[in-house]
Amino acid sequence: MSEPLFVAEALTKRYGSGAAEVVAVRDVSLSVAPGEIVLIMGPSGSGKTTLLLMLGALLRPTAGKLWVRSTLVSGLPERKLPDVRLRQFGFVFQDFNLLSALSALENVAVVAELAGIGGGQARKRAAHLLGELGLGARLHFLPEKLSGGEKQRVALARALINDPAVVLADEPTANLDSKIGREIMRLLQRVAREQGRGVVIVSHDQRLKETADRVLWLEDGQFKAMVTMAVDPVCGMAVEREGAPTAEGKDQTYFFCSRGCRDEFLAERLEAVAPR
Amino acid sequence: MALARHNLAQDWARLTLSVVGVALAVMLILLLSGFLSGMYIQIAAYLTNTPGSVVVAQDEVRNLLGVSSLLPLGATAAARTGGSRVIPILSQFVILDLHGKKQPVYLVGYDRKEGGGPWRLAAGAEPRTSYEVVFDRVLASRHNIALGEQVEIMDRDFTVVGLSDGTSSWMTSFVFVRKAAVERLLRVPGGTSFLLVTPPARTRPEVLRDRLSRVPGVEALLKRDMIANDAALFGKVFSAPIRLMVLIAFFVGTLVVGLVIYTATIERQREYGVLKAIGARNGLLYRTVLAQALIITGLGSLGGVALAFAAARLIMVLRPQFLVVLEPPAIGWALLSGLGMALLAALIPVRTIARLAPADVFRR
Ligand SMILES: Nc1ncnc2c1ncn2[C@@H]1O[C@H](COP(=O)(O)OP(=O)(O)OP(=O)(O)O)[C@@H](O)[C@H]1O
Ligand SMILES: [Mg+2]
Repeated sequence: MSEPLFVAEALTKRYGSGAAEVVAVRDVSLSVAPGEIVLIMGPSGSGKTTLLLMLGALLRPTAGKLWVRSTLVSGLPERKLPDVRLRQFGFVFQDFNLLSALSALENVAVVAELAGIGGGQARKRAAHLLGELGLGARLHFLPEKLSGGEKQRVALARALINDPAVVLADEPTANLDSKIGREIMRLLQRVAREQGRGVVIVSHDQRLKETADRVLWLEDGQFKAMVTMAVDPVCGMAVEREGAPTAEGKDQTYFFCSRGCRDEFLAERLEAVAPR
Repeated sequence: MALARHNLAQDWARLTLSVVGVALAVMLILLLSGFLSGMYIQIAAYLTNTPGSVVVAQDEVRNLLGVSSLLPLGATAAARTGGSRVIPILSQFVILDLHGKKQPVYLVGYDRKEGGGPWRLAAGAEPRTSYEVVFDRVLASRHNIALGEQVEIMDRDFTVVGLSDGTSSWMTSFVFVRKAAVERLLRVPGGTSFLLVTPPARTRPEVLRDRLSRVPGVEALLKRDMIANDAALFGKVFSAPIRLMVLIAFFVGTLVVGLVIYTATIERQREYGVLKAIGARNGLLYRTVLAQALIITGLGSLGGVALAFAAARLIMVLRPQFLVVLEPPAIGWALLSGLGMALLAALIPVRTIARLAPADVFRR
């Protein structure tokens, strides 16, 4: 594989101190190559968002180093970070986070302007990018007039406008139905494959596994092997085998995220066996 | 800044209300200060329009309108030596009973050949006998007094023969009679309150003042000092409350803008956080907030100036005794106070933004 775009070395984040101390991320290392899609999964509270924030230079690690395209970002002073975030990273959020007063076009153009591109040029670029993402007819719509998938595509255009090395996405499909979610994933795939960017996605969504080149399981702030994991057959969530509610099948054991899912599963099976 | 404009334009009702709020505050500031300027002009009207650069009064009397003055007998002759022009007047505050309403006026007794009477007549003529009076035009119209009508001044009847212009004031208007008439009313034959002295050419007023000060029993002041003393006398009474009202108007205006900008910022707190996360610097976000405040106060201030002109005209038509003078410096100050409102109003929202952690955008 080629030279990594992006290297995190032994990142650790501690919140609070003394008895209230939480080690949200512990000694995590990760490198992302150009064109690679890394999916980070893990249970709630395992430190996924914290890790993503550190990767995006939004949160200073307690310990560890972060390089982006050979810049040691973790060593930069605070006042240099906005520029790094602006030019090296593109962020995609679960709830889109578009600026409600601006049209789709302006939402994207404003970010180019932040990077010092003139107004007219910025709009031209934004229009082109939105066109590529299939939003050519929606340029002048306000976010409230856009569907979820359209909003997420605007957000993706915004993330890409300054030609970042890495796109970081936190639950990018969580607020979208599965068809639209797949479409967003295909776009992220194109961003990686065709444009050679690194893509790091944090998600609970099992379906994203198909698109990812690498799936990492974060638990208690550390990466763990995926083998200890199973998929809840009802809701599709990844669950840890240990301690999970189970149900015995004909030749396998099913694991569930909660009792609710197991009860639903059992009820359905009963119905299948003895339909009324 | 486009974002600021769009943010405001998204809520027209709020924008309009806040602009109107600022406009009213700026209008109030302008009207109050215009009213104060008008008051000073009214206070100074008599001295300003009567010739003379030095005023001679009774010893210890340092203003025209505050206390009555009676000069020692030789004062007029002393003032005349050296070729100065001297206008002697006998004047005093009196309370008239006009159609059952008590009305304080400043009664000026003057000699036609010396000067010191009304400087502009709107109708009629100056008094020729000791039973004639020139009334302030506005006062006359407020009390429905017409030319030829009788009015009683200190138990004596006078016929209104003229109406004077520019002599009105909401505190006290000027009424002019012959000096001999006031001498009779006050029972001071040959009495004189003040002398308005014009030095001969090439004599500086200060020199004249110093010379006249040495006349025993008199006080000599430059006219402009006398005007300032009158202004201070009334200013003491009126300018403090008016200044206080101006200050209150300023803060009300600031609060209006502040509240609007604050809620607009809090509402978009998350969006500012997103911009920060994406890589916008604080300075840019501050400028956005400030631009919003400036748009509101800019529109509001201009509207306020326009409103103030309209309101001033309306007030002076409906209540001519009030003089509201909107001078360019006052307008400048009102616009500046609008700017001040914007800066103050942006302060708290800017702090809110400064405290936003970009990482929080990812947490719900
Ligand atoms: N600002 C903070 N101060 C203190 N503790 C924090 C803070 N942010 C996160 N934590 C703690 O760090 C741990 C990891 O949190 P994080 O949000 O990274 O988890 P996550 O994997 O993203 O969870 P989820 O799937 O629910 O989004 C949690 O125990 C959380 O309570
Ligand atoms: Mg999270």
